[in-house]
Amino acid sequence: MNMKRLYRGGDIASEDSPKLKRADVLVEGGKIIRVAAGIKADAQTEVVDCTGRVLLPSLFDIHVHAREPGQEEKENIATCAEAAINGGVTGFVMMPNTAPAIDNAGVVRSVIASAGRTRIGPSIYTTGAITKGRKGEELAGIAGMKAAGAVMLTDDGFPVDNPQVLRRAMEYARDYDLPLASHCEVKELSGKGSMHEGSVSYSLGLQGIPAISEEICIARDIRIAEYTRVHLHIQHVTTARGMETIRRAKERGIRVTCEVAPHHLIFSHEDIGNYDSHYKMNPPLRTKEDNEALLQGLIDGFFDVIATDHAPHTEFEKNQSFADAPFGITGLETALPSLYDRFISKGRLGWNLIVKRYSAEPRRILKLDPVPVIEGGIAEFIVFNPKAASTFTRAFMKSKSINTPFLDKEVKGLVERVIYRGDELLAR
Amino acid sequence: MTPRKDLLDIQSLTDAEIEFVLANAVPFKDLFRRSVKKVPTLKGRTMLTLFYEPSTRTRSSFEVAASRLSADITHFDVESSSVVKGESVLDTVETLEAMKVDYIVVRHKQSGIPNLIAKNTAASVINAGDGWHAHPTQALLDAFTLREVFPDLKGRRVVIAGDIQHSRVARSTSLLLRRLGMKIAYLAPGSLMPRELPKNITQFSNWEDALKWKPDAVYLLRVQMERQAEQFFPSIGEYHSNYGLTDERLKILRERGVYLMHPGPVNRGVELTDAGMDYERSLINAQVENGIAVRMSVLYWLRPGAQGGVS
Repeated sequence: MNMKRLYRGGDIASEDSPKLKRADVLVEGGKIIRVAAGIKADAQTEVVDCTGRVLLPSLFDIHVHAREPGQEEKENIATCAEAAINGGVTGFVMMPNTAPAIDNAGVVRSVIASAGRTRIGPSIYTTGAITKGRKGEELAGIAGMKAAGAVMLTDDGFPVDNPQVLRRAMEYARDYDLPLASHCEVKELSGKGSMHEGSVSYSLGLQGIPAISEEICIARDIRIAEYTRVHLHIQHVTTARGMETIRRAKERGIRVTCEVAPHHLIFSHEDIGNYDSHYKMNPPLRTKEDNEALLQGLIDGFFDVIATDHAPHTEFEKNQSFADAPFGITGLETALPSLYDRFISKGRLGWNLIVKRYSAEPRRILKLDPVPVIEGGIAEFIVFNPKAASTFTRAFMKSKSINTPFLDKEVKGLVERVIYRGDELLAR
Repeated sequence: MTPRKDLLDIQSLTDAEIEFVLANAVPFKDLFRRSVKKVPTLKGRTMLTLFYEPSTRTRSSFEVAASRLSADITHFDVESSSVVKGESVLDTVETLEAMKVDYIVVRHKQSGIPNLIAKNTAASVINAGDGWHAHPTQALLDAFTLREVFPDLKGRRVVIAGDIQHSRVARSTSLLLRRLGMKIAYLAPGSLMPRELPKNITQFSNWEDALKWKPDAVYLLRVQMERQAEQFFPSIGEYHSNYGLTDERLKILRERGVYLMHPGPVNRGVELTDAGMDYERSLINAQVENGIAVRMSVLYWLRPGAQGGVS
C-alpha cells in the first residue's frame, strides 16, 4: 500500500481556468503529495506516462437511477458503480423511483449498505422521496431518512402535483437542511406524450409533451421555494423559457440551483428519426434552439451542474413502440467522452467548465469537498486521453443496460484511468 | 428504381415510385370491368394481414387486391391470439417470420409499429395505418382518385376538415398531394389543430374562410367518437354545426362544383348529412374502388426480401 505512483507529463484541468497546466502528480497513501514539473521517481515509484493526457478531478453525478431495490433487471447499485467508474464518475446520488420507492429510513439504510459493497461505496449517496410511494399525497418520513443518510429529497420522475403538499415538504426540507430536487412537469399537460410537441411530433404522429408543461411547473416550484426559503434544485432543464424563469429567480436571490443533462445539449427532437426509443426521455429532447440556449447557459455559468439522469432500461422494454417504451437513457459512461467530442474538442466548452459543473459544484450542493488535483488533495482524478476514442459497444459498457443513442458509436476521447482515494479503479 | 421492401410512409417514397404505383393502378383498375378480374401476378405469394386495430374496410380492400393478384391470403387474428396474453409485437413478428409470408399488412394504434416490424422481418411490410402517423395506401388512393377528376393536379386546392391532430390520413394524404403540386388547407377547431404544421399548409378555423379559399375538393375526416372522453370539443352537435358539412355548406359545394371525399366509414349527421352522402360530386365510392387498384399496384411494386425501405 505504501507504493507511490507518479503521473508524469499530463495536463491538469481545474475549475479556475480554461488553461491546462502541465505538471507531474505524485500520489501516495490516497493523497496527492506533490504537483510539480519534473518530479523524480525513486525505485518504489510506479511511473504512469500521461503525456498528451488531461488529468481532471473525478466527476460527480447528482442524478442517477441505480434501480435498486426492485428493478435489478435494468441495473443494480454494483453495476451502476462500475458504469460510473467506467465514465470517470466516482460519486453519485441515487434517485428514489425504485420498487419500493426509497421513501423511508429502512430503504435508505439498505441502499446505502448496498452501495458500501461497491468500489466507490463512500461516495454513493441517496435521495429520499418527498412523498410516500412518490404518489404526491403524504409526506415521506423526511427526518428519519435524513438521519439514515439521505442527502436530498425528490420524487424524481414525477412532480409533486399538489402545491400544498409541496409547500409542507419544502418547509420540512428547509428545517432539515436538505435540498429539494424537482422534476418539473404538469402531468395533465404532458398527458400520454412521448416526445417534444412540435414539428417532429406532428410528422411522426406522436403525442407531444409541450414545453409549457415543464416551464409552468418550474415557475410554480420556484414561487413556493421562495415562499418557504428551501434550497430548490431544478432537475434536467430543457427549454430556453424555463431557463429564463430560473435566471430571474437567481437574480432575485432565491436559493435555486439547476442542472442540465448532456443529452439535452447534444440531441434535439429531430434526432428521433425512425422512432428510435434511445432518444426517448423525460423531459424530452427539445429543439435545436433549445440545445443552443442550454449550451450558452452552461458557458455563461447559469447552470450549476451537469447531471446525466442515467436511466437504464432493458432492451426488451426499449424495443417497443416509441409510445410504449419507457423514458430514459443511460449516461454515466458516455457523458465525458461525448461532451469532449461535441464541445470541448471544438473549443465550445473549456475543461474548467467540466471540472466546475460536473465535479466541484455537484459536490458543493451536497456540502461535500471538491477534489481538485492539487498538492495535499485527495487523489481522486481521471486520466483522459483526447487522442484516443471511445466506442460504446456492449462489451465496453459496464451498465446492465445499453439504452443509449451512443450504442456502437465512436466518439473522440477516452477515460483511460480512474483514481479513487489513491487506488486505480480503472486502467486501460 | 431501386427495389423497395416496405411501404411505411409517404416521406420515404421517391417521385418515380409514386408515379410507378399510381400509373400501374390504372391497368389494374381496368381489370375490374372484365368478367374475370384476376391475374396470376402474385401466384405462390402469401399476404398476411396483422390488424391490431379493427378495420373491416381496409383489411377487405387489401384482401380483395391480393386475391385479384392470385396471392394466398391469411389473417393473423390478434384478438384471439397470444397478443392479448401480453406477447410483444416483436415476438409475434418472429413467429410470422418463421411462417415465411411475403407481405405483412399492419395496422396498429401506435405510431411507428410498422417501422419496428419492418426492421425485424424479411417480408414486405405495408403500413395500413399506424397511430396518428401514416396511412400511405390511403394517400395513394386519394391521389389516384383526384387524378381521375383532375388530370393535372398542379395548383388544385383541397381543404381537409376535421380532427387533423389525430389523423394519419390527413398527414399522409396532405403530404402526397403537396408532393404532386396541390395546395392543401386544414380546417379544424383549435383543439384538434396541431401546434406546428409544415409551412405550406394553410390553416382555417371556420368554413367561411375555407370556402373563400376556393377549394376544388373538400376532404372530410372521420370524427373519432371515442375521443370525446377527452373533450376536444363541447358536443357532437356543436361540432357538426361548426365543422361538419351541413346542408347549407353542401349547397355551396354544389353551386361551385366542388368534389367531396372521405376515408370512411362515415358518421352520418356528424361530418356530413344524408344529403352529403348522395352528393353527385362525392368521390367516396370511387375512393373505395380505387383503393383496391392502388393496393394491387403496391403489392405488385414491393419486393419482399429487398433492402429495408425504412425511412
